[in-house]
This record gives sequence, structure tokens and C-alpha cells, in this order.
Amino acid sequence: MTAYRDLLTKWGAYGVSALVLMLLHALTLHTLAPFGVMTFLPPVLVGVVASLEEARPATIFGLALGVACDLTVAAPFPCLYTLAFTASALLASLLAKSVLQPGVLRSVIVTALTFAVTDLGNILVLAMRGAQLGPMLLLALKETVFSCLLLVVCHPLLTALHRKFTL
Amino acid sequence: MRDFMEKHGLRLLAAAAAVAVLLSVLNYFSTTSSFLENVAGVLTYPFRAAATAVEEWVGDRQRHYRDYSALLEENEALRAEIAVLRANARQAERDREENAKLREILGLREQKRDLVLESAMILEHSSSNWTSTLTLNRGTNHDVAVGNCVLSPEGYLVGVVSEVGLNWCTVLTIIDTDAELGALIYRTGDVAVAEGDFSLMGEKRLKLSYLPAGVSLLAGDYAVTSGLGGFYPSDLVIGTVERVEADEDGLARYAVLAPMVDFDTLTEVFIVKGFDIVE
Repeated sequence: MTAYRDLLTKWGAYGVSALVLMLLHALTLHTLAPFGVMTFLPPVLVGVVASLEEARPATIFGLALGVACDLTVAAPFPCLYTLAFTASALLASLLAKSVLQPGVLRSVIVTALTFAVTDLGNILVLAMRGAQLGPMLLLALKETVFSCLLLVVCHPLLTALHRKFTL
Repeated sequence: MRDFMEKHGLRLLAAAAAVAVLLSVLNYFSTTSSFLENVAGVLTYPFRAAATAVEEWVGDRQRHYRDYSALLEENEALRAEIAVLRANARQAERDREENAKLREILGLREQKRDLVLESAMILEHSSSNWTSTLTLNRGTNHDVAVGNCVLSPEGYLVGVVSEVGLNWCTVLTIIDTDAELGALIYRTGDVAVAEGDFSLMGEKRLKLSYLPAGVSLLAGDYAVTSGLGGFYPSDLVIGTVERVEADEDGLARYAVLAPMVDFDTLTEVFIVKGFDIVE
């Protein structure tokens, strides 16, 4: 019973932190667009959680955040984030646990992987509508690089929560 | 890894696929917005409004300290432009009276241009790099419908409503890759298609495609909505011609249009809920 309550508290804390970070991002950094590119927070959250948690809960977190994004953020097709976040959380958490050592580098690599999967979805759909590949790849690269800077805040916060509720 | 995939991974992916199918089906069969999107839009309304209010406040502070001499120069240029426009307006008034008399002689219907407008505030600007959208604080409660045009306070075309919820709606701006409108080149009267293009979206530009053979465009030519088909009102300014380029294959040409609207600083718009135009 206690373990179940701890589990709920931990994921509740992750959820609240994600909401607060997204609200703060919308209030502050959303207006900044270095080189014409806006930073995008949800894949960063999925990446960090996937690098910290076991594959199953991380994938469920990715699925939940994907559904929330699909319902509130415009995308080239209706279920892009649900599919991309679930698949990338599953892939990233498995990769993180079996290949990479815990730490900031693992979060960076896993976040980049999450962006790669998400942007692949965007690129495939837009390419089918006739968009050129070069500008899309450049945008994906810039979005990944600038959004990874958000790890400066997200990684320590979520790692602290993970330590507090897991160890 | 293999054990996990066998035990849980495939089940989770199947769950994601089921949710994705559900979202797609709900989206496909809704004429406004799906039930879940509507609920999410209503619930996030206060947060979006708060974020935009802060964003606008920061923007206002930045504009407040803009270079004073640049504003003086702009003021001088605007005074000169007003003088020219006043002269044009006097001439237009005389032409309008003459036109009305001639229409009466010929027994034509009286010209009119009635637009049913709903003012709206912008709740949120695009939050993705892959689309260009705006979220407004008007929805089905205010009789807003999918396909309604959205204008800036100056009357320039901003975009078209693509999704409507109870008290919110999403507008695809004219530079989004999904945007496509029948256009008319005002000076020459040629018909073309104004459409969003991914390569140009980053520059906040759009494309004027299917140009008739032999058409000669000048920088600054206005492109307006053609009104053909009756979906959108005619004569709404989409943008001005910036340059003419050749397609990748080099066989066709297209013009790059600069919209008249600055989407980033826009705070208030008007939704065209209905129109009655007699040319």
C-alpha cells in the first residue's frame, strides 16, 4: 500500500513539475526564437523522464503527454505526438538503461532521440505534401539544439524528484 | 530488452496506436473540433490567456523603448502618405458618385459589401515550428464556424478558421503549409492560387502559384482574394509581390508574397462570420 502511494506521489510530482515547467516556458521563453526557431519543451520532458525511469512507466508518461499535446498543440496530423512520444519514450528508456551511463549526457542523447522521432513524423507528413527536405532537416536540427538547452532546468529538477522518491 | 518488449512494449505500443486511431477518427468525423480537443481547449483557456497577457506586456515594454528617431522618421513618412491618400479619397468619392449614377442608368444592382464581423483577441500564437496558427477567444458560442476568414484590424487577411471549440478557435494563418486560397492580382486582374510553403514559412512569406503564362508582375503588386466559388469574400488583401522565382523544375514561375500582417505582434483580429457582396 505504501509503495503504491509512493508511486502515485512520484508520478504526481512529475506531472505537476511538467505542468509548471510548461507554464513557465509559455510565459517566458516561448517568445524568444533564436534564429527564428522556438524551443519546444514536451520532447525534453519525455526524454529526461525516459532517461531516469523504467521503460514501462516512462512509456506511459510519453503516451499521456503525447495525448495532451495532440489535444492542445497544432500539428501536421492529429495523432503525431501520441505516436512519436510513446515510441521515442519506449526506445529511449530501453537504450538509456542498456547502453548509456546515468547523467546529463544520457539525458541529452535521449532528448535528441525523442526530437528525432517526433521531427521524423513532421518531416514525413510535410514531405508527402511536397515540402522540400533540406529546410525541414535544418529546422529539425535547430529545434533539437536550442530545445536541448532547456535541459539546464529540466534535468536537475526531474533528477532531484527521481532521487527524492526512488532512492 | 527483448523480455521487456515481449512483456509490455508491444502492449504499450498497441495502446498508443489505439489512442492515435481514436484521436484521428474523432478529428475526421468532427465538423468543428473533436469532443476531447474541445474539452482540452476550454480547460487550458485561462492558462493560454495568462501566458499571452504576459507575452504582450513584455512586448509593450520592448516597444516602449524603441528608437525615438526612427519613430519620428516613420511619422514624417506617414504624414506624406496621408496627404496622397486624402487626394485619392477625394477622387474616389467623385468616381463613386459617377459609378452610382451609371449603374442606375444601366439598371444594375447597387454595389454593396456587408461583412458580419466578430472581434476576437488572440489567446495564443503558434507553439510549434512546423505550423503557423493562432488561437482566438471566440468559438461556437459566438457562431464562429470552420472556414470563416480572419482579418487584421486594418482589414488585411490573417488566415482561415480551421477548428472551433466552445469558447476558442484555431486559425491557420495564410503562411501555413495547409493554407490555400484563390487569389487575384489586383493590377492585372489575373487569377492565381496563394498557398503556404514550408521553405517560405520561416521567412513569414507565402507563394503565389499557377501564374498565367505571360503575366508580368511588379514588386509591390497587391494580391487579393478572388472570391471565386463564394467560399471567401473577394478583395481581401493577402499580401504584396516581393519577387518572382522559378519552380525547382524551372518550367513554371511563382511569386513570393509578403503578407500585410505581422503575425507576431498581432493582438486583436476580426472574424468574418458572414458576407454579402455585390460587385
